[in-house]
Amino acid sequence: MSEQENVIEIRNLSKVYRDFWGRKKVQAVKSLSLDVRKGEVFGLLGPNGSGKTTTIKMLLGLLFPTSGEISILGKKASDVAKNERIGYLPEESYLYRFLNADETLDFYGRLFNLSNEDRVRRADELIKMVGLNNARRRQLKEYSKGMTRRIGLAQALINDPELVLLDEPTSGLDPIGTREMKDLILNLKEQGKTVVLCSHQLADVQDVSDRIAVLFQGELKLMGDVDQLLELREETEIRTGNLSDAAIAEVEEVLKKHGMSSSDIKKPRVDLEELFLRTVRESGERPGRRFTAEEMAATQTKGDSEETTEDPAS
Amino acid sequence: MDFDPIPYNLQYATGSWLRLVGVLAAFAVALGALGSIMSAGSTGRIFSNGLLGYLKDIVTISPRRVFAIMKLTLKEAWRRKALLVFVVFAMLLMFAGWFITDQNDRAELQLNVHITFMLTTISWLILPVVMFLSCWGLPEDIRIRSLHTVVTKPVRRIEVVLGRMLGFVSMSSVILLVMGVAGYIWITRQAPESLADSSDSDRRSFLTCRVPVYGNLYFLNRLGLPSNAGINVGDPWLHRSFVEGNSRSRAVWVFPQVTEDTLLPDKDGNVLHLESRFEAFRTVKGSSESMSEGLEAQFTLVSDAREDAFSSFGVGPGFREIGEALRAGEFQSAAELLDTAAQRMRDTPDDFPAADCEQVTISCIRQVVPVLDYLGEDLADVAQAFGEFGEASAAVVLAGDDRDSKMPGMADACSRLATAVREGGPIMMELMPSLEVPLEPFRVAEYHNGEEENLKKYPRTLTYAANYEGTARFLTSTFRELEKEGKLFAGDQPADDLLTILEDDYNVSPINAELVLDVLSDQLEDGTVVVNSDKATFKQDDGNWLGLFTRLVREEKLISQDPAGWVLEADLFDDLARNGLLRVEVSCLDDQMYLGMARPDLFIRLPDRPFWVGYGKALLNIGLMLGLVVVLGVTASCVVKGPVSFFFTLAVFVIGQAFHPMMMRIIEGNEAGNGMVESAIMIFQHRNPNSGIDAKSSTQAMVERVDNAAGTMLSGASSIIPDFSIFSQASTYIGNGFDVPWSTSILPALMTFIGFFVPCVLIGAACLKFRELEAK
Repeated sequence: MSEQENVIEIRNLSKVYRDFWGRKKVQAVKSLSLDVRKGEVFGLLGPNGSGKTTTIKMLLGLLFPTSGEISILGKKASDVAKNERIGYLPEESYLYRFLNADETLDFYGRLFNLSNEDRVRRADELIKMVGLNNARRRQLKEYSKGMTRRIGLAQALINDPELVLLDEPTSGLDPIGTREMKDLILNLKEQGKTVVLCSHQLADVQDVSDRIAVLFQGELKLMGDVDQLLELREETEIRTGNLSDAAIAEVEEVLKKHGMSSSDIKKPRVDLEELFLRTVRESGERPGRRFTAEEMAATQTKGDSEETTEDPAS
Repeated sequence: MDFDPIPYNLQYATGSWLRLVGVLAAFAVALGALGSIMSAGSTGRIFSNGLLGYLKDIVTISPRRVFAIMKLTLKEAWRRKALLVFVVFAMLLMFAGWFITDQNDRAELQLNVHITFMLTTISWLILPVVMFLSCWGLPEDIRIRSLHTVVTKPVRRIEVVLGRMLGFVSMSSVILLVMGVAGYIWITRQAPESLADSSDSDRRSFLTCRVPVYGNLYFLNRLGLPSNAGINVGDPWLHRSFVEGNSRSRAVWVFPQVTEDTLLPDKDGNVLHLESRFEAFRTVKGSSESMSEGLEAQFTLVSDAREDAFSSFGVGPGFREIGEALRAGEFQSAAELLDTAAQRMRDTPDDFPAADCEQVTISCIRQVVPVLDYLGEDLADVAQAFGEFGEASAAVVLAGDDRDSKMPGMADACSRLATAVREGGPIMMELMPSLEVPLEPFRVAEYHNGEEENLKKYPRTLTYAANYEGTARFLTSTFRELEKEGKLFAGDQPADDLLTILEDDYNVSPINAELVLDVLSDQLEDGTVVVNSDKATFKQDDGNWLGLFTRLVREEKLISQDPAGWVLEADLFDDLARNGLLRVEVSCLDDQMYLGMARPDLFIRLPDRPFWVGYGKALLNIGLMLGLVVVLGVTASCVVKGPVSFFFTLAVFVIGQAFHPMMMRIIEGNEAGNGMVESAIMIFQHRNPNSGIDAKSSTQAMVERVDNAAGTMLSGASSIIPDFSIFSQASTYIGNGFDVPWSTSILPALMTFIGFFVPCVLIGAACLKFRELEAK
């Protein structure tokens, strides 16, 4: 992709936190350079304290870089006008707890100078999208952590942004919410929006990101396409329907003939997230029923494309 | 009232404000540039970008976003139960009546207590709520990071500051309004307590707002000469000056802009309302009347005769300003203008064309000099100076082409006239021929008990017993008029019907009319007055009718045999306040007694305003005070955390409320004890504040230098710390039954609020913009 299509360009960015007397406390980011391309989902990974959130906050102008340059949507980080086209979900949803969901979205809509009709329409759409329709009149102080994340996400999208910055988007969400969040991120990508997500939930990032960057102690350690980075070039994986023992023996013979001395042929396993989601979905269909392991195995082939629970909060 | 309302000088205040804000802004910019270069080590690019961004933020403020944040602030206050303050207020109202009733037996004082209690309660209940919320709002937003979701939207930091300020101001205004309405109902139902059983109209007569027109005050001493202050009867803290009874000592008020609109309708037509409150000081027990009914005082209305003396002075552009200053009685200013003119005569003589010089000649020689001569020997020097100037001007006119050679002489004469006017001006003002209308003496009610005994009403046409001066002026104007109409003489004798005309058309009593005719006949016989074709001519010494009658009065040939004296009529506007200036002189008639007065003690009363108008204005002042507290609190909270911000705002409020007036007195040198260090040493040495310290001259000089330096710092502090006492003045007005005036109370309060609001918004926005909200 050409340079013109970069939504974010960071060059030699450093951030040093200092104490009251100006003495260096910690260097949170060291000479970071990276680009985020238009329309991609970019994952910023790293353990706690690696500088992910500091980088995001410098992008938003909440922190000032010690050195280096930032260009975001073609503007400087200190330019407030860039925020017209950005949606930001902070690490924790720092919202006004005395407002309800409707008032929250109305308030943030006003900050974008949206018209009355647009505010009402967008708020309605977003509240339904994040599954808070039944709780829209309750003050946020009565919300669970997951619900707070959802309304936080809704406020980040109130202006239909071109660039969405999500700091630990799945933090505090249950598996259903996590799945929905991931679906939403993919949905945003389909709409042509750029998403930067910053997380240490590696599996979540892996599922949705086109490219990732790994930070450690403020330094960029790794960056590239997810598929290329995770591809195991020395191995081949074949998945097929259920085989008899005889068929398996024949396959092993074939492999030996091609010089593959050891092979791992076994029944594949569904991951725990999938199992959980199916359980909850089936419970929704037949409330009160308990499933056996066999029954669960029998459902493994059921479509991944089936919809998840409509109102996960319930 | 026990304070003197001084009109606010908006022009001066605005100029001072612009200078101060300009200096502070320049200092802040310089400091910012230096800090930026030092920390970033660049050529200042970061600073200039930051400054440009800041200025861009200011010009791109979105009212809709400000309104959104304001609405959020209101909602926050509402849901955090800030309005619980109403409960406390309601409790106070329920039980306050038990404790503040029957404290005074005079209705007006009861009312004062109720009003003061109510306004103070409202202020002090809302103040802590507002201070707490405004100081904690932003820091709490930053602490829980809810501000982060706001500033990552296209919101300028200045919009956050403005929205927060306006939100808290709106909240305090709503609380103030509700409490104000409840307080109004409480006051009107409770007070005055002593009239609880009276009719509503009686009670309402106390609940009113008097609208005064204040004049300027100066005094005449025992000799009748002007002085800034009267007699001090021994109390150094007393703000009143005293005039001595049965002497020429007087207090003189000059009221501006007195027109027919100043009169109020009454049952006998339109009348002038003069209300006073004087203080008595007795050196002897006096008569039973003076003890029980108060000292006897008298108003004398005096015309301003300067117009007569200088009516044509300086018509030309070269002398116009000088003439205006002389006519206005501003002799110091006139002297300065004369000095300037003298210098210009030497430097640029063409500024004074022959036509102007001719006008000055006419005014000096033909008009001013005779008037001054008439005033007597006291002003001989002044008269001579006017004469010299007139002659020098005439020389310039007569010299024609050679006028430039005469200009230095005219300039010298002009300088001498400046000196004469500077020294003799104030005396001249007092000695000018004037019409004096003494009004009926009255007893001063020292303890106002609510009835309007200190309110005097005077009709437009005043009847009075004229003094010598008045008699001469009356007869002059009468004879001039009769001569003009051809009714004065028949041949070379007085007209036959002159007696009837004087009695019928001019209301002269028969005895006085006969006296005038006899005197006129005597003058005709003596040849002092000669009739020539129905026109009188006079001997050189008399000159005109005024000169003749003045001489006759002085020779006591016109002393009235009528027991009532020369009872004449004067018109308030045609005779006394011709140029809108009304001069009222107050004298004490009781021997060995003194009457104390300050500027607000005598005023012209205009139509009263309803009580709710003044009460509303007092609430407005409280609202502005609360607004200023909000502004300071929010600004401080942009820099420091909630508790620090709270104590900072509290400290500024306490200093501004309790100590700002004292700071100003120290700076202006009006506080006893001189400088701070000098005062401290005097306390240590147990010395009188007026005596100075007991130390060597070198030590004294050092103390003085330290005090001067401290005074400069204090002066700076007084400019930065708002004067909160301005806001509480409105309560004093309304408590004393006066309307709250715009120029002395509301305007200064409003300008103080705006004066701090604008820089505080800019400072708060800058602090919020250039700080890292996420700094660890």
